[in-house]
Amino acid sequence: MGTLKVQGLRKKYGKTTAVDGVDLAVENGEFFVVLGPSGAGKTTTLKCIAGLLEFDDGWIEIAGRNMSGVEPYHRNVAMAFESYALYPQKTVFENLASPLRSGRTGRYGAEERRRRIQTVTDTLGISHLWERFPRELSNGQRQRVALGRVLVRPADVYLLDEPLSHLDAKLRAAMRAELKQLGELADITTLYVTHDYQEALALGDRVAVLRDGRIVQVDTPEQVWHQPVDTFVARALGQPEMNLLDGRVDGGRIRVAGGTVSIPVPPALGVQQRQAVRVGLRPRDISTGADPGAEPPGRLRMRGTVRLAERLGRSVEMSVDVAGTPVIVVVSSDNARPEGDEVDLDIALEHVHVFAGGEPDVDTPRLGAAGIELGKQA
Amino acid sequence: MSTELLPGRRRFTLTSVLADLALLAWFTFALFPILWMVLLALKTSAEQTSTYFAFSPTLENFGTVLSARGTELTSVDFTSTLITSVVSCVGAVLVSLIIGVPAAYAAGRWKYRGSNDVMFTILSFRFAPELMVVVPLFVIYHQIGLFDTRVGLIWVLQLVTMPLVVWILRSYFQDLPEDLEQAALLDGYTRRRTFLTVALPLVRPGIAAAALLAFIFAWNNYVFALILTGNEANTVTVAITKFLGGGGQAYYNLTAAAAVIAALPPLILALTIQRYLVRGLSFGAVKA
Repeated sequence: MGTLKVQGLRKKYGKTTAVDGVDLAVENGEFFVVLGPSGAGKTTTLKCIAGLLEFDDGWIEIAGRNMSGVEPYHRNVAMAFESYALYPQKTVFENLASPLRSGRTGRYGAEERRRRIQTVTDTLGISHLWERFPRELSNGQRQRVALGRVLVRPADVYLLDEPLSHLDAKLRAAMRAELKQLGELADITTLYVTHDYQEALALGDRVAVLRDGRIVQVDTPEQVWHQPVDTFVARALGQPEMNLLDGRVDGGRIRVAGGTVSIPVPPALGVQQRQAVRVGLRPRDISTGADPGAEPPGRLRMRGTVRLAERLGRSVEMSVDVAGTPVIVVVSSDNARPEGDEVDLDIALEHVHVFAGGEPDVDTPRLGAAGIELGKQA
Repeated sequence: MSTELLPGRRRFTLTSVLADLALLAWFTFALFPILWMVLLALKTSAEQTSTYFAFSPTLENFGTVLSARGTELTSVDFTSTLITSVVSCVGAVLVSLIIGVPAAYAAGRWKYRGSNDVMFTILSFRFAPELMVVVPLFVIYHQIGLFDTRVGLIWVLQLVTMPLVVWILRSYFQDLPEDLEQAALLDGYTRRRTFLTVALPLVRPGIAAAALLAFIFAWNNYVFALILTGNEANTVTVAITKFLGGGGQAYYNLTAAAAVIAALPPLILALTIQRYLVRGLSFGAVKA
């Protein structure tokens, strides 16, 4: 068990910068998730921490020890690789025994090794696979073995690199739930890297969002979800992505969708008259079927035409045309409307995010919400 | 092959028949010299230039080549040249494996300024005509006493085999996922133990392939053995030519018999390792 500190980590591959000044401080026993799209530098960061890559600048401290010049086998770090990296010439049992035989993770007799492997394989439900070779396993089983090779040994820090990314959607959800329940992971400092926002929100004690080698935001899952620092984080979380509508401040209200929709601006937002802003609405925060008529306080109403309705089983994704501006809405199939219908959209003002205005492809910081801020830590 | 990949599409079309015929023609053309050599080895001296396919075959030539009479004719003991060839080729392959495997691993794993230049230099030993370096080598070998010795042969044949071993194995090591070795490092193994217990066992098929190829190249080498050895450390390739005689009668049938004998060791070796080579190619693709 131990803390993990990374400061000013920088790593270049030739001319491209993979990691550009990453700072992390992971508490003892914390489950810390790094979320980012592919190419954001997640794996590079992990491998630098493990000592598998040399980096250009910065320093790393594990359990209070500076790791400069420390070989990987002296770092007392366990890692599950995205590719699983199981030894193809060894059976499952031998793969799991490998870290226990090296002599650098503690001394174990044959009995003790067996006992430890038994415990871990029982937890992961792979005890019947001891004698199999990795090539004889399904992806889900390989992933469990890779995880088992991490859990079987004591370590200061566990590093998990996209352990669920190669599984199909159902198995991924099941494994996610299992990971959450795994007691071993609860006690040991874990750095978990993923591109899946659902994994990040479900598993993390805290989540760091990584973009182009820089950390954009570090917060609890609730805060990252309710108060994304900018449009990048807002769009990274949630499927379908958050709707972003360009607007302008006019007379104490934000006018979007060609001025047909106007949102009251709370004074705390601190926007100027004529300032360009963006309004962010999550598709699942919007509901349909509101009574047409006056806008009740604390809510925003919009009227539009359904252009496209896609059935996704229990829910329906609709693209609604609000005065020429498309708004994606996800509602339960009971509240869905057929294409061509007029529909009244309704959303609570605290779910209306306001971002600074900017060019279409440039991410801009969040200014606040149109209603009372949610998820603010008391 | 193609029918196995596409079950149910076994068809005899005009093109496929023509392709098979073309292949057959090519095989006949390519293998004909070997057939000719075997036939010639079975002929008596009287028939060696006069008959083509109809003759009374005899195994006498093989006996002659390996016996004292052969030594009398050529003043070279063919059996001992066989032993010299085996010793020097195995020695050269061993030397290039002991040095070449770690070199290939280093070349496959670590990039540094000029690493490609080093690899190219190693490969360029294969570009250079042997005759270009053989004269200086001849002088040097005479001066340091390596001329006409098996150790000297090993040393010079190693020049032929080393680039092969390094280049073949480098690509094997490069194909090996780096994650495996990194996993071993994090399991607590030093870099040396990682190399020995993870990387090395996984490139065994590559080592077999490289060793076999290197052996064949060393075995077939003629120029170095011709110039750098006298009567003591002649190799088979040189000994074969002695049956062609120098001014007296040319024993084509004995030459052919010697060539057949000389072709056997690499052939046997290739057949022995073949199963291993094929297994190496399909490793992991088929359930054991």
